[in-house]
Amino acid sequence: MLARVANNLFWMGRYIERSEHVARYLNVNYFSSLDAPNQLSQSRQFVLRSMLFMVGEPENDDKVHLDEEEVLYKIGLDNDYQFSIINNVKYARENANSARDLISTELYESINKFYHFVLNYDADSYVKNGLHDFTVNITEMTAILRGKMRGTLLHDEIYAIIMMGVNIERATQIIRIINAKHQDALKAQGSYGDKFSNSFEWTTLLKCAESYDMMRRFYKKTPTSISTLEFLILNPNCPRSVMNSLNQVYRHIKVLDPSKKYNKKSTAFLVGKVRSEYEYKYINEIESDIQSFIENILERLAEISLKMEKEFFNY
Amino acid sequence: MTMANIENQIFSSYQRNPSLYDEIYDEKGNLKEVYSELFNLYGEHSIKDFVKLNEKAKSSFFNQGITFQVYGEKETKEKIFPFDLFPRIIDPQEWDIIERGSIQRSKALNLFLWDIYHDKKIVKQGIVPMELISSSANYLHQMVGINPPGGIYNHISGTDIIKHNDGQYYVLEDNIRCPSGVSYVICNRTALKRALFGVFNHYNTHTVTDYAENLLDLLETVKPKGVDIPNVVVITPGMFNSAFYEHSYLAKTMGVELVEGRDLFVENDFVYMKTIKGPERVDVIYRRIDDAFIDPLEFRPDSALGVPGLFAAYKKGNVTLANAPGTGVADDKAVYTYMPDIIKYYLDEEPILNNVYTYHCSRPDELKYVLEHVHELVVKPVDEAGGYGISIGNRLTKEEIEAVKRQLKENPRKYVAQPIMSLSVHPTYIDDNESFEQRHVDLRTFTVLGKDREFVLKGGLTRVALKKGNLIVNSSQGGGSKDTWVLKK
Repeated sequence: MLARVANNLFWMGRYIERSEHVARYLNVNYFSSLDAPNQLSQSRQFVLRSMLFMVGEPENDDKVHLDEEEVLYKIGLDNDYQFSIINNVKYARENANSARDLISTELYESINKFYHFVLNYDADSYVKNGLHDFTVNITEMTAILRGKMRGTLLHDEIYAIIMMGVNIERATQIIRIINAKHQDALKAQGSYGDKFSNSFEWTTLLKCAESYDMMRRFYKKTPTSISTLEFLILNPNCPRSVMNSLNQVYRHIKVLDPSKKYNKKSTAFLVGKVRSEYEYKYINEIESDIQSFIENILERLAEISLKMEKEFFNY
Repeated sequence: MTMANIENQIFSSYQRNPSLYDEIYDEKGNLKEVYSELFNLYGEHSIKDFVKLNEKAKSSFFNQGITFQVYGEKETKEKIFPFDLFPRIIDPQEWDIIERGSIQRSKALNLFLWDIYHDKKIVKQGIVPMELISSSANYLHQMVGINPPGGIYNHISGTDIIKHNDGQYYVLEDNIRCPSGVSYVICNRTALKRALFGVFNHYNTHTVTDYAENLLDLLETVKPKGVDIPNVVVITPGMFNSAFYEHSYLAKTMGVELVEGRDLFVENDFVYMKTIKGPERVDVIYRRIDDAFIDPLEFRPDSALGVPGLFAAYKKGNVTLANAPGTGVADDKAVYTYMPDIIKYYLDEEPILNNVYTYHCSRPDELKYVLEHVHELVVKPVDEAGGYGISIGNRLTKEEIEAVKRQLKENPRKYVAQPIMSLSVHPTYIDDNESFEQRHVDLRTFTVLGKDREFVLKGGLTRVALKKGNLIVNSSQGGGSKDTWVLKK
């Protein structure tokens, strides 16, 4: 496989995954805030700030009044905002275009349909009453794309590259979501007796990661800060957990590079190292200093991405 | 179902202009036998059904991403290539002429290219003038004396053929640089199958899906010396090229890599591609990049699309380029006019397909005739592609005719002129009017030459000029296309 095309496929995976997380974040936060138990969590300004924080555009000035339609438009359909959903989908399709000869017709057609759906979505109805429809369609279409990847591609190097992209992005986005909701929980504490450890925001966080139902099944208790973080970071059986993503990355890097296993300069070695670091961690170690954890893991993921670039995409 | 019924439905408003050659009727005005079954089958549909089927076919192309880019002044638009649901049928006898004629021309052009890049016998014997070659912008002095692997220059040829109102086939143009359109032949077939699969049961039509395998087989016959199993790739200018879909389609169906210039490099006169596992040698390159851009060291130095050193590797015989550099000299519109002589000279055969008589504006007596008859001639620049720069005499205003005359006087070598050929017409579904109407069509055939073997795709691209009365069928000028059925004997 060409190094350049491999790079494009890696990013195709990342952009598809990213658009899903952003869409779900908008949906869950917006709709769960409508009947949130405390006033702050119900506040529109609070939710809009959380959305901007998640996509990396935090608005820290309390005096600024955010306009709902503007914020939704910017994150969803703004062509001029680099990290909007529409641009993510555009980049994903552009990357798929350059590798059309390598991926299945079925996968390409689904990506192309996805692109036309977003491109043709009426911006006016989206910001006024289409948020639910728009975001639900995005999460469903990305689910179809994951199915087409798994079900129609040869599980060879090409698949491994795409899945590396998907899983590195998934881990990154889950951490971004944890970070955003952690901030929200800090802000919300104290209002109407809402304590940090069993804040309403933990439920929202789990829903943002489509993991609420399974978390209830696993712990059989109302989510607390510690159980939520444990589930989303360390539980290897939760498909959205950071640990699971790292395991997937490890699995796929071995396909790409079976022989260099003991080469300490290889991506495979680095992935293995990061993975085992988190495999044997207690959640208390993380929860006591969540900011350091977030900074550290994001750094490590960026390091893996960079290493891949050097080892495989260097053209 | 009776004929009257059919006329009432889908062809109820079909108007026949008797001065045009309609492909589905014979000279007595009766429906041709090969079309009668199809006519009955389509008669079972109402115009409403057709509107629906047409929409379906369109969205199928869009979702498949079978689009091309149109470069406008402000923005680049993604468009689908308009597709017509009423196929063109070519019977085995007619096809035999087309196929043999296409091969004959391709072979003659190949021998002509060998000759003009070696001994130039054809010039020395006075069959064609030296200036025809020396004044051509597409003649590459770098190619002189080079022996391309397998002796093949024009591996892939696209021959543009029309039927005049005398019922005869004429070749309008030979395209032997990077002819495109073959992917649409296959997509058209797929789209028609999806929309109207029933009709195929009633006809015995040759497949068109065997193009890629034949192309790969033939490209492998022209591998460089000493290579066992050649590594074939397709090189594209990139995804923003208007024919990118075709490039990726060909790579995918041949099962080979689609590369860009930046994916390749040359070391010690061998060509390699950069893969995730390091460099991998490349032996045969089906290139869809124009001559001027293939190697910045040898040709245009500002080319970012090509590969530095590629031409040196080619000269050493370490890599095959298909088509060979410098083929453009032979599909020049001025060379076209000598085709009957070229065929006779190299093959000692009479041309199977007709040539349109052509006036050379470089010859003073012919220029004189052309200047006097601009209003009834087609004037074409010799080196433009895509239907640009063509003026059709009977469509011009007085001022426009004067402008053409001025251009001709200024630069006679740049132009040739031909009688206005009347392209045959074919019933075509016109979206805006929701009806079938006569539209002009041509046919591009695809011929592949390998070492001692050749292949013609049994089908070809029937292009339709969708604007009423328009004779220019190029997609960049609002042309569409039809599925083309070649019937088995």
